[in-house]
Amino acid sequence: MGALSAALAIVAVVVPFAGGLSLLVMVPMGLLGYRYRLRVLLAAAFAAATIAFLISGISGFMVVLNCAYVGGLTGIIKRRGRGTPTVVVVSIVAGIISGLLIIGALAVLVRLRTLTFEAITANVDGVVSVMSQFEPFRESAVQTRAMFGTALQYWPVLMMGYAIFSIVLVSLVGWWVLGRVLERLRVIPDVHKLESRVEVGPVAPLPVRLSGARYRYPSADHDALRPLNLTIDAGEHVAVTGANGSGKTTLMLLLCGREPTSGVVDRPGAVGLGRLGGTAVVMQHPESQVLGTRVADDVVWGLPPGTRTDVSGLLGEVGLAGMEERDTGGLSGGELQRLAVAAALARQPAMLIADEITSMVDQRGREALLNVLSGLVDRRRMALVHITHYNSEAEIASRTVNLSESADNMVMVAHAAPPTTTVVAAPRAGAPVLELSGVGHEYGSGTPWAKSALRDVSFTVNEGEGVLIHGGNGSGKSTLAWIMAGLIAPTTGSCLVRGRPAHEHVGDVAIAFQAARLQLLRSTVDLEVASAAGFSPYDTARVVAALATVGLDGSLARRRVDQLSGGQMRRVVMAGLLARWPQALILDEPLAGLDAASQRGLLTLLTDLRRNAGLTVIVISHDFGGLEELCPRTLHLDTGEMASVSATAGGLP
Amino acid sequence: MTAERQRRPVVLLRPVPGASVIHELWAGTKIIVVFTVSLLLAFYPGWVPIGLMAVLVAVVVRLAHIPRGAVPSIPRWLWVLLLIGCVLATLGGGQPVLHLASVDLEVGGLLKFLRFTALSIVLLVLGALVSWTTNVADVAPAVATLGRPFRALRIPVEDWAVTLGLALRAFPMLLDEFRLLYAARRLRPRAVLPDGRVKRRRWLSEMVDLLAAGVTVALRRADEMGDAITARGGTGQIAAAPSRPRGPDWVALSICLAVCVVAIWLDSQGYGRR
Repeated sequence: MGALSAALAIVAVVVPFAGGLSLLVMVPMGLLGYRYRLRVLLAAAFAAATIAFLISGISGFMVVLNCAYVGGLTGIIKRRGRGTPTVVVVSIVAGIISGLLIIGALAVLVRLRTLTFEAITANVDGVVSVMSQFEPFRESAVQTRAMFGTALQYWPVLMMGYAIFSIVLVSLVGWWVLGRVLERLRVIPDVHKLESRVEVGPVAPLPVRLSGARYRYPSADHDALRPLNLTIDAGEHVAVTGANGSGKTTLMLLLCGREPTSGVVDRPGAVGLGRLGGTAVVMQHPESQVLGTRVADDVVWGLPPGTRTDVSGLLGEVGLAGMEERDTGGLSGGELQRLAVAAALARQPAMLIADEITSMVDQRGREALLNVLSGLVDRRRMALVHITHYNSEAEIASRTVNLSESADNMVMVAHAAPPTTTVVAAPRAGAPVLELSGVGHEYGSGTPWAKSALRDVSFTVNEGEGVLIHGGNGSGKSTLAWIMAGLIAPTTGSCLVRGRPAHEHVGDVAIAFQAARLQLLRSTVDLEVASAAGFSPYDTARVVAALATVGLDGSLARRRVDQLSGGQMRRVVMAGLLARWPQALILDEPLAGLDAASQRGLLTLLTDLRRNAGLTVIVISHDFGGLEELCPRTLHLDTGEMASVSATAGGLP
Repeated sequence: MTAERQRRPVVLLRPVPGASVIHELWAGTKIIVVFTVSLLLAFYPGWVPIGLMAVLVAVVVRLAHIPRGAVPSIPRWLWVLLLIGCVLATLGGGQPVLHLASVDLEVGGLLKFLRFTALSIVLLVLGALVSWTTNVADVAPAVATLGRPFRALRIPVEDWAVTLGLALRAFPMLLDEFRLLYAARRLRPRAVLPDGRVKRRRWLSEMVDLLAAGVTVALRRADEMGDAITARGGTGQIAAAPSRPRGPDWVALSICLAVCVVAIWLDSQGYGRR
């Protein structure tokens, strides 16, 4: 199943480029061929070709099919460990087959044949007549023309030769290029957790009793979950807490049916993951939870065909009443998670496991989500297992299971109340770094999809200042960040960096995106830092120095970026950015997805850089937690407009 | 400072806001029509079929209330390419010959080129019409319905439809991620390198890294979606509402069929053949 889904998402990667850069289409296809079975490749090829067909008609369809052939061929041959000779043999066979198909089609369709030949002749004639203009080429031009005329008479031979030649050529080029890319991609880890298992017997996951259950991952040297005794029965709301690495997710896996390494997990029947009356799971990432493109479709997604579902009732229960026809793409993180809960409830589960479902959701969304969860156990006869690292969330449960060894060892995140609006402080000492006046931005101007994201935003950021730009979903805060970094030019108004338009000097203002992995473009840490900072990768001293500024040890330099933790990735990105001494550093949701300890570490580091190195820091976030010290000044953004300009009395240190 | 006139971007797979007869049609109908017309034009690429299809497309555009702004700005290099193609084709010469005063101009090649261009434009607009008037959520269920006959051939149509649906769902997310990837690359300083081999090799390894970053992200997302699928007990239903043609769809299909038949008939009578 994971394989199939891998196909899907990757397919979507290819399509934007289907027109020109067919290499980009071949890579994912090659990877699919390399990793999974032919069936997956076929499904992916079909989906990609259909999307290409929707976008650019029949030609896009053909391009994608062609790329699927080359990519798939390369991938499968790589997987089987064969070499170039196999590619040649297979491609000759494919060439003969396609040659036969072409000849067959042309033999039947005389009109098409005439037209194709006319088109080719016209091309050749054009070239010949150009060549004839120049004396030295005239003779050979005439000969070419004559040869071509003869060749056309034996068109089946010509077509066969052409088909074999072109397919072998394309296959070999694809093999050569893709081979290198696939080598590089082979090491990307598989991160999926759940596995579907075939179960017999009636579904009855409750009551579940763990006695001395312990789990250790196959290649690990310590237990992911220490021996645990626990019983969960219907009608219970259990909160599971613990620091990172205490085994919260592992416990979730055991409850979902994974066999413990030792000890017993005892339940009366089958786990029934995702089945009616079984176990339902909602996980961390909002976008990945929702599988349907329309809200109503998502609720029923995956239910056995013919199941009748009260979609509007379920949506009402999670507070999304009347949104059946909305596109899931336009929902906020909190709404997506509530939708995922609705889809879980559509299976009338005996046990619902919520695995850190609020960690990527903003304050308001979190409250709404908790409201939904807190009422569930009373309304339905079910058990709710809520895994969380937030204090306040554990409090609403009827009982808490703490997986950390001792309570005081545990690091929990406390929620912060929004800072109150305060009087604007006296003019600051530092010179202005960023000056925005009347900035507005509209996406897709002039098209029917035009959407205004920002209107008349004006403010100034001074040297050494720390500013938090706060706003909810769709407030335009990301657009504002991109404008300040010069990545997009505002449609109205101006954004000046030290008096020069930002979009003409991309790179002067550094920006660290929320998805740190996307900003790590090279394979290892030292290459990455060097490439981002613009110095030679052999300049070890500077790489180590850059890593030191963000509190990372130089020994990390040779580490592969895929082996870094989320917090380390953020720091490596910052190391590369800071090594260029940017005018200011913009951080988009720097704390999202980090555990409490990493959050605190990163905040301390940033505050220190601002205080002592005079770094200007702008944080874009939907949260306030612990940011007061780093960003004494807060700007609120609401639906593209500046709600109020405020600063805490503290001002500059 | 007001920004210079913005280029209109290409907007993919998002319907033009508003409702119309065309918006209401079943997605399957639109797919059938586009497929039929593409096939027809592939086999009968004469002026008459192209013209008739252009008329059909124009009528549909009117019915669907597509504003001019929906068409993306055409980049300059495309115009230049077209012009070069035009000149080359004219040099090719051929019948018929145009007599202009004392100059004989052979325009056969040019006409062929124009015909090919017109054909491409009709096909492109036709494809764009589907994207402009169809909610992507309707596509996968429609494909599942259309593909039902193929199940007899043991083709896993259901799987394919599910794949298609999920790909369409992931499409905007991945588009965003690629935008980010591109932005991250723009933020980097341009390395100053000697020309030749070193530069090419560096460029190649950079491209491989970029691809790897993109695929890593896609894979990670795919793994998460895979978990979500497992959590829902595998695949099954993909749509809450049934997906099948209604009255207006049969009318639309009949009109399309009629136009196609007329086009083939006129063409086989020898009109507009060149």
